[in-house]
Amino acid sequence: MFSQRIKLFKCRSSWRPSSPTWRSSPANINRTSERAPSSGFSFRKCVPPSELTRLPPGKVFGPEMLGVGDFYYELGVQIIEVCLALKHRNGGLITLDELHQRVLKGRGKYAQDVSQDDLVRAIKKLKVMGSGFGMIPVGGSYLVQSVPAELNMDHTVVLQLAEKKGYVTVSEIKDSLKWEKERACHVLDHLLKEGLAWLDSQAAGESQYWLPALFSELTSRDVTPEEANQMTP
Amino acid sequence: MSFEWPWQYNFPPFFTLQPNVDTRQKQLAAWCSLALSYCRHHKLYTLDVMEAQESPVFNNKKIERKLSMEAIQVVFEELRKKGNLEWLDKNKSRCLVMWRRPEEWGKLIYQWVSKNGMVNSVFTLYELSNGDDTEGEEFHGLEEWMLLRSLQALQTEGKAEVITIDDGKGVKFF
Repeated sequence: MFSQRIKLFKCRSSWRPSSPTWRSSPANINRTSERAPSSGFSFRKCVPPSELTRLPPGKVFGPEMLGVGDFYYELGVQIIEVCLALKHRNGGLITLDELHQRVLKGRGKYAQDVSQDDLVRAIKKLKVMGSGFGMIPVGGSYLVQSVPAELNMDHTVVLQLAEKKGYVTVSEIKDSLKWEKERACHVLDHLLKEGLAWLDSQAAGESQYWLPALFSELTSRDVTPEEANQMTP
Repeated sequence: MSFEWPWQYNFPPFFTLQPNVDTRQKQLAAWCSLALSYCRHHKLYTLDVMEAQESPVFNNKKIERKLSMEAIQVVFEELRKKGNLEWLDKNKSRCLVMWRRPEEWGKLIYQWVSKNGMVNSVFTLYELSNGDDTEGEEFHGLEEWMLLRSLQALQTEGKAEVITIDDGKGVKFF
């Protein structure tokens, strides 16, 4: 399934912007792919002053205006590859931070830089293509979901609760969300079933439900050859 | 070189037998791999189940988690199914750990023999495992029971014959 998606993304888009504005600006001279401005980007620096009068006043320039280029397709492929490589560990859930870290690492020193905004845009496009990708807001950032596990609002809110410590307990859910025990257990069972959470029954007091995706010690560890050997084909 | 623990070792749930079948499969694969690596690193060939429970590999004091006796037995059973473990007694209290299977050892030994042009030579078991000539080889220091099994594996392949020399055992390579 995923290999087909990757093939799809590897078909390069031959689209080029009709307006010469971006291409002629010095910053973009050698780039073959187009990229939307992120929040830190200075539009004025790129566009020669003479061109500014041609632009419609008050219009917001975003990716929809400039269109999609190779950049986001390639990024999408990279994102899929990173998620696939780590799925056996985290069940298909990864923090945006870790994804960003690993994408940057995979790009090497001389590649075009990638911001978290870029990742979010690329993931939104993946989502539109029905790839099973999704984003769950947690603790001021996102958890990126790369497998079509059914996660509803209840699951999402428990994930948000677990974000602080990397694990959550039935009591914490009951106290913070004011739920009945059954509702809490139902959600936790689902997370176990989807392979997103592991059970720790040796915790003092009551069982803890840990999410590998939120396990901070794991985010910077590469997949060792031994680990790769354990992966079921 | 110090032993490198896999990421799971510091993950508390790793020490709880997982209720979800798929997750448990991953967990057991990781445990088997860890147990074998640990034994290989420390050149351990036998394990006592009671002692194992207190060994650092199954008992991570830093995070205060340890594998239960039941879970250890499950891991050992997995290893047995894969051919890496053999029980020494009916009560399953002691076992042989073959982090390298006899066939794999046999291959290594035969490679050394042929590389050094010693095919058709005769060796005592001691010479093979403890002789000066084999120092530096991975099979140097191999325990006798394991060495014997490895040679027997070669025997079934027709590459060696285990013989008696004086009052001990030896081997001839073909």
